[in-house]
Amino acid sequence: MKRRTFLSTTTAAAVGTQVLGGVPLHAFTPADLDQRVQAEDDRILIVIQMFGGNDGLNTIIPADDPEYYKIRPSIAVPKEKAVNVLSRVYMHPSLDSKAPYNLRRMFEDGRLAIVNGIGYDNPSLSHFRSTDIWLSGFNSSDPEKRLVDGWLGRYWASKVQGFPEVLPDDPIAVQIGGSLSMLLQSRRGDIGIALTDPQKFFELGQGLSPDMQPMSEDTRYGREFNFVRLVAEQSDRYSSVVKQAFDKGANKVAYEKNSFVEQMKLVARLISGGLKSKVFLVYLGGFDTHVQQQDENLNGLHPYLLEMLSTGIGTFMQDALIQGFADRVVGMTVSEFGRRPYENGSRGTDHGASSVQFVFGNGVRAGVYGDMPDLSNFDSNGDVRYQYDFRRVYADVFENWFGGTPADTESILEDRVLPLGVLQRSTSVNDAYDGRVQVNVRVAPHPVTDQATIEWQQPVPGIVKVDIYGTEGRFIKNLFTDRALPGTMRVPVHGLASGSYICCVSVNGARSVVPLTVVR
Amino acid sequence: MNRRNLLFGLAQSSRRSLAAVDQPPVVQGGIDEYTTPLTLEDVLHLYRRMSFAVSRPQATQQVGKTARQVVEELLGLDTASEPSPAMRFGPWTDPATKQPVDWTENPEGADLQTRNAIEGWWRANHRTLSNWTLGLMRDDQTVTERLTLFWMSHWITEFSFDEIYMVPQMIYRQYMTLRNDRLGDFRKMALDMTVDNAMLFYLGGTYNEVGRPNENYARELMELFTTGIGWYTEGDVQQAARVLTGWKASRFNDQPAPKGIYNAWFDAAKHDMGAKEFMGVTIAARTNDNNTEFQVLNEEVYELIKIIFRVRQDAVARFVARKMYLFFVYSSAGDVDPTFLNELATEFKANDFRLRPLMLKLFTSQHFFDTSIRGAQIKTPVEFVVGMQRQLGVNENDPQTWVDRMDQTMFDPLTVAGWPGYRSWISTNSYPRRREFARMLIDAMSDTRANAFIREFSNYEDVDAFVKDVTVFLLPVAVSAERLAYYKNALLEGQPDYTWAEKLMQPPAASRAMKELLKAIAKAPDFQLC
Repeated sequence: MKRRTFLSTTTAAAVGTQVLGGVPLHAFTPADLDQRVQAEDDRILIVIQMFGGNDGLNTIIPADDPEYYKIRPSIAVPKEKAVNVLSRVYMHPSLDSKAPYNLRRMFEDGRLAIVNGIGYDNPSLSHFRSTDIWLSGFNSSDPEKRLVDGWLGRYWASKVQGFPEVLPDDPIAVQIGGSLSMLLQSRRGDIGIALTDPQKFFELGQGLSPDMQPMSEDTRYGREFNFVRLVAEQSDRYSSVVKQAFDKGANKVAYEKNSFVEQMKLVARLISGGLKSKVFLVYLGGFDTHVQQQDENLNGLHPYLLEMLSTGIGTFMQDALIQGFADRVVGMTVSEFGRRPYENGSRGTDHGASSVQFVFGNGVRAGVYGDMPDLSNFDSNGDVRYQYDFRRVYADVFENWFGGTPADTESILEDRVLPLGVLQRSTSVNDAYDGRVQVNVRVAPHPVTDQATIEWQQPVPGIVKVDIYGTEGRFIKNLFTDRALPGTMRVPVHGLASGSYICCVSVNGARSVVPLTVVR
Repeated sequence: MNRRNLLFGLAQSSRRSLAAVDQPPVVQGGIDEYTTPLTLEDVLHLYRRMSFAVSRPQATQQVGKTARQVVEELLGLDTASEPSPAMRFGPWTDPATKQPVDWTENPEGADLQTRNAIEGWWRANHRTLSNWTLGLMRDDQTVTERLTLFWMSHWITEFSFDEIYMVPQMIYRQYMTLRNDRLGDFRKMALDMTVDNAMLFYLGGTYNEVGRPNENYARELMELFTTGIGWYTEGDVQQAARVLTGWKASRFNDQPAPKGIYNAWFDAAKHDMGAKEFMGVTIAARTNDNNTEFQVLNEEVYELIKIIFRVRQDAVARFVARKMYLFFVYSSAGDVDPTFLNELATEFKANDFRLRPLMLKLFTSQHFFDTSIRGAQIKTPVEFVVGMQRQLGVNENDPQTWVDRMDQTMFDPLTVAGWPGYRSWISTNSYPRRREFARMLIDAMSDTRANAFIREFSNYEDVDAFVKDVTVFLLPVAVSAERLAYYKNALLEGQPDYTWAEKLMQPPAASRAMKELLKAIAKAPDFQLC
């Protein structure tokens, strides 16, 4: 992909002819633009899939809630053993792992966000359906709806021009491990490669490009032929790219020897060696802890996995800080569900619903999102209710990390979803270019009892939308969509039942949010 | 002007343009029997899907028969013959004392050295078991092992999971049970698997006790093994778990094993004797007087399965028919032909969930023989490795290592849902390994074998006919004239046609040429398809 060249041509053509968002284009030289876009281009997302359904209640411990000790008589983490990292926030001691840098330290250093109550409406308690929901980014409770591609696969397949006929120089995504995950699949073809051993990949990958052109006829045979052909071409092309990055890259800290930590080590080395992939996917399985998840000394499968998770992320982060690429990388954990609050009879927990998610890196707005789970108000299955729709963090990735817009979020997720704000949005040159500016939104009178007005100072001309979302982040209604000129904007609030909402004003795609409460 | 859009192209426009492509091409023909005598292409197609690939001499013998004749022949007798050779687990000798050791010892709590030794012994036996089944598959004249593999991919257990190992002897017993059940009543198979020792251990049934329910197996019985998701409530899961309390797996010599090691048993004291409400049907409470293994197995466990098959009969029939379609016909989950699926499911119900008539219907249907599904299936690693040995007539002694490298570890799928299948089989990780295996196996052909292989094609002296026949034999769909020319060039190493006759007179030269042709064909994307 020759983006660099393409960009200089378009900017050169545009300079002097356009004024957008009130900022004349010639305020930026093409070189400036190039540098800024390049910086944005370097951003990387690491997805850590914790398969099996991680037990959120034994990850971030509700140690101040006596109910927790009642429902988990044999597997609760005693308050005196839980690690208190902030008022009312306790970690499982395994997260304070033996590694020099770990999730506890990262939280204390402001590099970790803990998202409580991540989940979705009408939760599926099936590993596979729920994994598909998480990886596809579609929450469909209809089991007949086939979920066949991933939210990142769709996003990048739509963003990389000419894909898959023209393959970018570096793989868009790299999965450490075997069969490629649905997360990195799109209907146009896989956006990623699966990689276990760069040296072996290099030895075996050379010269694998097929001698044949893609088939033109659209038959089942033709489709699968073209699919295999694309993988063969990717194997050939990327085996040397990966090898180069691997040879050039390094790790500057010692990593523990276990499969998960070593996956993180490989990711660090490839980034360090200059591989320009946007997404890395690593896998940590075993969270389906129906049986003997933890003994009275807090040993067992679940603590073991948490220890690995914390060590893997912490060591990677330490490496990234030393090598200077920490600002370019954020990561998130995904797990298909949490566990049932009540322990079962086998010192384990059965499938549950909402859970806890970690988002890490220098680019996060660190802290704790949401309240500790309410253990006195379960859903009809006896599971913890969710507070945030899981797709909110995906919207963050699109809009606040990869430089996408609300329109991207809507088109990729086929739904309007409000970013959680867990990633820091840095104002970029594109914002000025497109007139994307944030505004101060006021609702008066507030709380809303009868009549109220949403008000802000519109600084630039552009398209304005006023949307109401639920606090979990799902779209409820649009109050206003129109062009607006600079000046004071006022939009009346109407048609909302009593309850808590989030009001979102977007100016040319830049979102500004304010909480909104209606008491009728 | 929005520069970003200009840079990347709009997401929306690309999605729309794809919608038209997403309509699957129509498959002609339904469940009605395909009665035309089979051509060579038909025979090759039937074997590639229902069995593994087939040798050229064997394929030619079947030409002209009807689909029904060949399918019946492949299904074989309902009762499976004893596998030959028999499975032999290696003896375990203590590395320190060199003495034979009791291999049923529990490694938990043992010293580290013993633990490592026991687990190492298990891993060795897992490899032995894997190679044993892969060898049976290669040599099987029926589809006994192929169907058992299919059912092992349905009633999932894993050799290695949650940082622990399953004793391979347990997996072996499960394999033998499914081998016997492979063509019988699907309810009976469900019953056998529900109280199977490996399954009780793998999905936590052995921990499921009165007052301490463990829902794991109860849920998967419906979600993954019978109805599919969406046909039961969470209440049904909880009630089913109560029905299934009391069954125990036997794994080690420090645990009770009233029926012998590796055989499941019933612990009456751990069974929940209360009444259960499952899918709107009451399973009556019982007392200590009728809480025996025999009574609970029939009146509760089998009853539970019968309720599922009665109340959710449409769901079960569709679910199993769909599984078969994906495995044997086309594994793209979004492209299962709904009309044909309904016909297949209706047949399954009409035959009271007996598997043999269902298999017969599927493999003799006009749908199955339609040209539009030929070449659409991505070979699984097992199909690739077993099939290529059959095609070339060359044996590989350690096939499990190869399928493992291609992301299919025998008896050890990634999750309880089994292998995800379809395109997940081909990645930048596995594809280079497939090419490596093909190269290796072709190189392993002796000159004698390569020359014999050439003579398996009746028109082998006519170079054009020969090249065409080899592509028909190895590739699923007829290839273009351009590709045939390319392959002929590979065979002749760039020399004129008449040199083929000269090569045929010199076995080493003919062998080398043959291997060049095979390697050229193995590079083609459709060599991965069947």
